[in-house]
Amino acid sequence: MFNYTIRRTLLAIPTLFFISLVLFLLLDLAPGDPTAQLPLTIPPEVREKIRLALGLGEPFHIRFLLWLEQFFINEPLHLLTELTGVDFSGDRQRVISWQSRSPVMDIVVQRLPQTLWVVGMSYVIGTIIALPIGIISAYRQYSWFDQIGTFVSMVGFSIPTFFTGVLLIVIFSVHLGWFPSIYDTTHVVTDWSSLIVQIKQMIMPTMVLALYNAAQISRFMRASMLDNLNQDYVRTARAKGLRENVVLLVHVLRNSMIPVVTVIAIGVPTVFGGAIITEQVFKVNGLGQLLITAIQANDIPMVQTLTFIFAVLIVLFNLLADILYGILDPRIRYE
Amino acid sequence: MKKLFVITLALIVMATSGFAMRGSSGHVNILYWQAPSILNPYLSGGTKEIEAASLIIEPLARYDESGNMVPWLAESIPTTENGGVSDDLKTITWKIRDGLVWSDGSSFTSADVVFTHEYCTHPEGGCAQGQKFEDVVSVEALDDLTVKVTFSIEKPFPYGPFVGAQSPIIQKAQFEDCLGTAAPGCTDQNFMPIGTGPYVVTEFRPNDVISLEANANYRDSAKPGFATVTFKGGGDATAAGRAVLETGEFDYAWNLQLAPQVLQQMSEAGKGQVISAFGTAVERIMVNMTDPSPERGEERSTRAHPHPFLSDINVRKALSLAIDRNILNEIGYGITGKPTCNVVPAPAIYASTANEGCLVQDMDMANQILDEAGWVKGSDGVREKDGMRLSILYQTSTNAVRQDFQALIKQWWSEIGVETELRNLDASVFFGGDPGSPDTFQKFFADVEMYTNIFDGTDPEPYFNLWKCGREPSPENGWQGGNIPRYCDEGYDANLSELSKTGDLNRRIELSKALNDQLMQEYIMIPLIHRGRVSAHSNSLGGVVLNPWDSELWNIADWYRQ
Amino acid sequence: MADHQPENEPLVEVRDLKVYFPVLAGVLRRKVGEVKAVDKVSLDIMQGETLGLVGESGCGKTTAGRAILRLNDITDGTVKIKGKYIHKSSLKEIRKIRPTMQMIFQDPQESLNPRMTVSAIISEPLTEHQNLSKKEREERVFDLMDSVGLNRDFATRYPHEFSGGQRQRIGIARALALNPELIVCDEPIAALDVSIQAQVVNLLEDLQEERNLTYLFISHDLGMVRHIATRVAVMYLGQIVEIGKSESLYSSPLHPYTEALLSAVPEADPEIERTRKAIVLSGDVPSPANPPEGCNFCNRCPKAFDICHKVEPTLTEIEPGRFVSCHLYNG
Repeated sequence: MFNYTIRRTLLAIPTLFFISLVLFLLLDLAPGDPTAQLPLTIPPEVREKIRLALGLGEPFHIRFLLWLEQFFINEPLHLLTELTGVDFSGDRQRVISWQSRSPVMDIVVQRLPQTLWVVGMSYVIGTIIALPIGIISAYRQYSWFDQIGTFVSMVGFSIPTFFTGVLLIVIFSVHLGWFPSIYDTTHVVTDWSSLIVQIKQMIMPTMVLALYNAAQISRFMRASMLDNLNQDYVRTARAKGLRENVVLLVHVLRNSMIPVVTVIAIGVPTVFGGAIITEQVFKVNGLGQLLITAIQANDIPMVQTLTFIFAVLIVLFNLLADILYGILDPRIRYE
Repeated sequence: MKKLFVITLALIVMATSGFAMRGSSGHVNILYWQAPSILNPYLSGGTKEIEAASLIIEPLARYDESGNMVPWLAESIPTTENGGVSDDLKTITWKIRDGLVWSDGSSFTSADVVFTHEYCTHPEGGCAQGQKFEDVVSVEALDDLTVKVTFSIEKPFPYGPFVGAQSPIIQKAQFEDCLGTAAPGCTDQNFMPIGTGPYVVTEFRPNDVISLEANANYRDSAKPGFATVTFKGGGDATAAGRAVLETGEFDYAWNLQLAPQVLQQMSEAGKGQVISAFGTAVERIMVNMTDPSPERGEERSTRAHPHPFLSDINVRKALSLAIDRNILNEIGYGITGKPTCNVVPAPAIYASTANEGCLVQDMDMANQILDEAGWVKGSDGVREKDGMRLSILYQTSTNAVRQDFQALIKQWWSEIGVETELRNLDASVFFGGDPGSPDTFQKFFADVEMYTNIFDGTDPEPYFNLWKCGREPSPENGWQGGNIPRYCDEGYDANLSELSKTGDLNRRIELSKALNDQLMQEYIMIPLIHRGRVSAHSNSLGGVVLNPWDSELWNIADWYRQ
Repeated sequence: MADHQPENEPLVEVRDLKVYFPVLAGVLRRKVGEVKAVDKVSLDIMQGETLGLVGESGCGKTTAGRAILRLNDITDGTVKIKGKYIHKSSLKEIRKIRPTMQMIFQDPQESLNPRMTVSAIISEPLTEHQNLSKKEREERVFDLMDSVGLNRDFATRYPHEFSGGQRQRIGIARALALNPELIVCDEPIAALDVSIQAQVVNLLEDLQEERNLTYLFISHDLGMVRHIATRVAVMYLGQIVEIGKSESLYSSPLHPYTEALLSAVPEADPEIERTRKAIVLSGDVPSPANPPEGCNFCNRCPKAFDICHKVEPTLTEIEPGRFVSCHLYNG
C-alpha cells in the first residue's frame, strides 16, 4: 500500500506538469484581453503600456517558465518565510494577479474561509442528509418515501442553483425578510448573537448547495444499497438470525459505503472549486466568484493558479479515494 | 473596537456642540455589483476601481452633477481670466487649499501633485490614466501650495491632469518606492492608499469588500456624516437592485442597467428609489466606410478599399431613417435612456439641435431615397444596384438589450429592402483589442457595429479627435486607434484643428456643434440612445446627488441618514 | 424441547406451501399477474434424515427451501418445525428460533460478507444468540473450524483469500455455530470443482452423523442426491410430482418426469451406460407465471392423455411412503 501510494504520487508529477502546460496554452490561446473591461475612453497606446507592464510582451514559453518558477519555487519559499519568520524568499517575485496587482495566493487564502464555511458546510450537510435518505429509499424501494426521495433528487439534480437560489431569496429575503440576501464576508463570529447572524446568512446558500449535493449522493447511496441488499451474504446474515438493523447497518451499509465513500472523497475538490453560481447569487465571494471574476477580467495568473490548484486537489483526492477503497474493501490490495 | 471608538468620539463631540457631527449617521452600506480589485485608479482604469478609490483619494478639481467644474483640493479653478491659465494656453497653475492634511496627519503639498504625475508617466508603470497626462511637458512645484503644469501644445481645455475621479492625487511618501516596475509589488499601497478624502480603508478584500471609516483628519470637521462604510462588491445588477429596493439590506446600489419593467417592479416594494442622470454615453451604430470583405485579405477594413455600398450616403441615411428610436428606448432603457440624434448630446451647451429629425421613423422617405439612388428591390425583396446587394453584417457585444435592438433593427431594415445578418460577440473579446482576434470592434470586420461610448469630463474635443483622418485602426498601427468608422474628411479635420487652438468657449461650442452635425448629417455614425447612469438608494439615505460627470460617490461626505 | 417431541412426528411438516411473486408492470407498477414459484407443496422431513429435493433449475426448489426457513415470504400454506407453526410468526419470533434451523448456500463466495473475517463470520451468530465470553466464543470458533477441517490460523483472513471448497467449509461452520437441528443445503456443491464436491458432501455426512442433523438437500445433481438422501422429492414447475424412498424412486421412477430426469443421469457402469436410453423431453419448461391448464407437465409429457390437459392431478400415496402426482396412477 505504501509503495503504491508513493508510486501514484510520483506518477502525479508529470500528470500535473502536463495539466499546467495545457492550462497555460488554453488560457494563452483563448481570445480576450486584460484591458477589455476598461472604459473605451482609455486610448490604445495606454492599453498597450498596461499590457506590457503585465508582462504580456514576453513570448509564451518565457511566461510559462516564469509562472512555473513563481508557483513552484517562489510561493513555497514565501510560505516558509511566513511560517518560520526566517527570510527564505528574499525579493523573489510571487504570482501576481493582474487585477489587483497583489499576490494570488494571498487572495486565495483570504477567500478560503467563506468557501469552506458555505460550500464545505453544504457538502457536509448534503452528505448527512443524503446517507439516511439513500439507505431508507433502498430498503423500502418503491415505497412512498422512496418515491418522494426520487422526486426531490430529480429536483435537486435538474433545477439549476441560480433558480433555487433566487427563489429562496425572493421568498425568504424579499417577502419574509428572515435571511439576508447578501453574504457579509467581513462578519466575525465572537459570541452567541454573532453566531446566529452567521448561521442566518449561511442558511440559504448552504441549503441550495446541500440540496444539489444530497441529490447526487443519495442516489449513489441508494443504488449501492440496492446492489448489496440482493446479495447472498445479506440472506446469510438474516439466516444467522441477526436483527434487521444489524443486517442493514452492519452488513449491507458497510459494504455499500465502499463506493459511496470514494464518490464523496472524489467530490471534495469541488468544494474548494467553490460554487461559482451560488456564490454569485448570494455574493459569498469565495473561490468560485474569484475564479469567475478572474476569467471575466482575463486575469491569467489568477485563473492559471486557481485552476491548477483545483487540478492538484482533484489528483490528490482521486489518489485518496483509491487508497480509501483499498482500506475499506479487504478484497482490494494495491501492490 | 475602532468603530466603537469613532462612534463614541462622535457622540462626545455631538454632545458638546449640538449640530450635525462627523459620523453621526452611523453606518452606510454601498453595493457595487462589480467588485473593485484594487484601490489605485492608476493601475486599473475600471469604473469600479475609480469610484471606490474616490472615497479615499481626491483630485484638485472635479465636476458637479451638472458638469460644472468645482475646485476640490484646489482653491479655485484656474482660467485665463483669473490668470491661472496662461494666455498662450500652454500652462495652468493650480493653487492648493491651505491647511490640507493627509489621513495620516502629514500635510498635503505640491510635491504630492508633482509625484502623482511622475508616478503615472513612468514608462514602465503601465499607468491606466496615461491619457490624462497627454501632452504634459512638466509639472513643477512653484511653492508648497502651487503647481504649474506645462503642455507641449496649446491646451484650450487644460483640465486633464488632476481633474476628475480618474486622476486623484496620491501621497508621495507612501508611493515613493512604487514607481515603474515596482508598482505592482506595492500591494499595501494599492490596497490602502493614504488620501485626503472623507474615508480611510480599514480592510480591503480584493474583488469582495472594502471596509472604511471616517478620516479623522478630514478637512471639514462636521463631515462625513457616516462613521463607517461597507463597500461590497459582486453579484449582478438585478441582485444589487433587489438588495436596495426590495430587501433594504443596502443603502446604495450602482449602475442598475436593468430592463425598465424590472426597475419599476422593484421600486414598488417601497424601500428605496431609482435615480438616473445623463452624462455623455450614447449607444450608436458605427458605419464601416471601408470594405470589410474577407477577399481584401490584409487590406480588409482599411482605407485602401471604400465600402461597396455604405460609402453611398443615401444608403446610410436610409438606414438611419428606418430606425424608430422611441421604441428602442422604451424596450431597452425606459427612464434610464432617451432617444438621441447626436453623438454628443451633453453637456447641454454642446448639444446640437440640428438633427432632431431622426427622432421620427420615416420608412417612406427611406424607401424613396433608396429608389432615387438607384437601389432596386430584387425578387427576394433585397435591393440591388450593379449586382451589389444591400446585405449587411451587423455586429455587437453579447447583451440582452443589444440583441433586442439588433432584432428590431434587422426587421426595420428588411422593410426598406436591406438584408441583415446579425452577430454578437463576447464583450471581453469584442472590446478586448487583442490584435490577434478578428472579432474586436477595432478590426470591424463587419458592415456596421453597435456599442456605447462616452467621453471623460465635459470637454468633447478629445472625443471628436477620435474621428480624425489617420486615427483609424489598421494593420500598420496594430489595429489601435479610435476612428472606428474609418472616416476621413478635410473639412472635419480643419474644424478640429481650429478647435484645438480656440480658447473662447462660445467659439468652442460652435465648432463642437459643427463637428457633431457633420458626423450626423453624413451618417458616419447612427446614434440611437442617450444612456443615463442609473443607481438606487434607500429611502433613509439622504444627500445623494447622482453625478454623471464624475464618481457617483463624489459627495459621499454629505450623505446622511434621514 | 427435542425431548418432548413425539417419535412419529416429523421435524418439518409443510402443507400446501405457496410462494407467489407478483408481476409488476406499467408506469404505476401495478400487479398484473403472479409467478407461482412454489405452488401447493407439502412435505415432511423426519428427524435425522436427509430429504433430497431435485428438479431443473427454476423449478422452485431453492424458493421452497428458503420459504421453509422463512427467508422468503410465504404466500399461503403452513410450515411446522419442531411442532411449532412458524409460517405466521413475526420476524422477531423467527429470529429466536433461527438457531435451530440454518442454511448452507449455493455460492460460498457471494454468501459470505466480503468485509468480515472468518472468525467474525462464524462468531457473529454466537454474539447475537448466546451469552459467551470473548474467550469462549473464540474457543467455539476454533472448534467449529476444526470440525469442518479449516486451519485455525485462517481465522483472521477474509473470504476472498480462500478457495471455493474452503469457503463452503466456512459457510458450513457458520451454519453449525448455533447447533441447529435442521440445515437446508441449497445446492451446496453446485459452485464447486468436482474434485471438491465429494469432500464437502462427505463432510456434511460426517457432521450429520456426529450431530444428528436433519438435512433438506436441494440439488439438481441426481447422482449426488441418490448418494446422500434418505428420501427424494422431485419438483417440477413449483410442484412436487413425486416423493419416495431414495432406492425405490431411483430404481422404479413412477412419474414420467422423474423417469425422464433419471434417464439423463449417466451410469457409472459402461455396460449399462451403453444401453441407457435418455428420454428427451420436447418443448421448454412453461413459465411459472403462466402454467398450462391441467397437469403442469402435460405439454411435455410423452404419456399425456386427455384428462391430463383438463384436470390437475393431486399428490397421492401409491404405496407406503411413495407419493405421485400423475393421472396414470390415480386410477
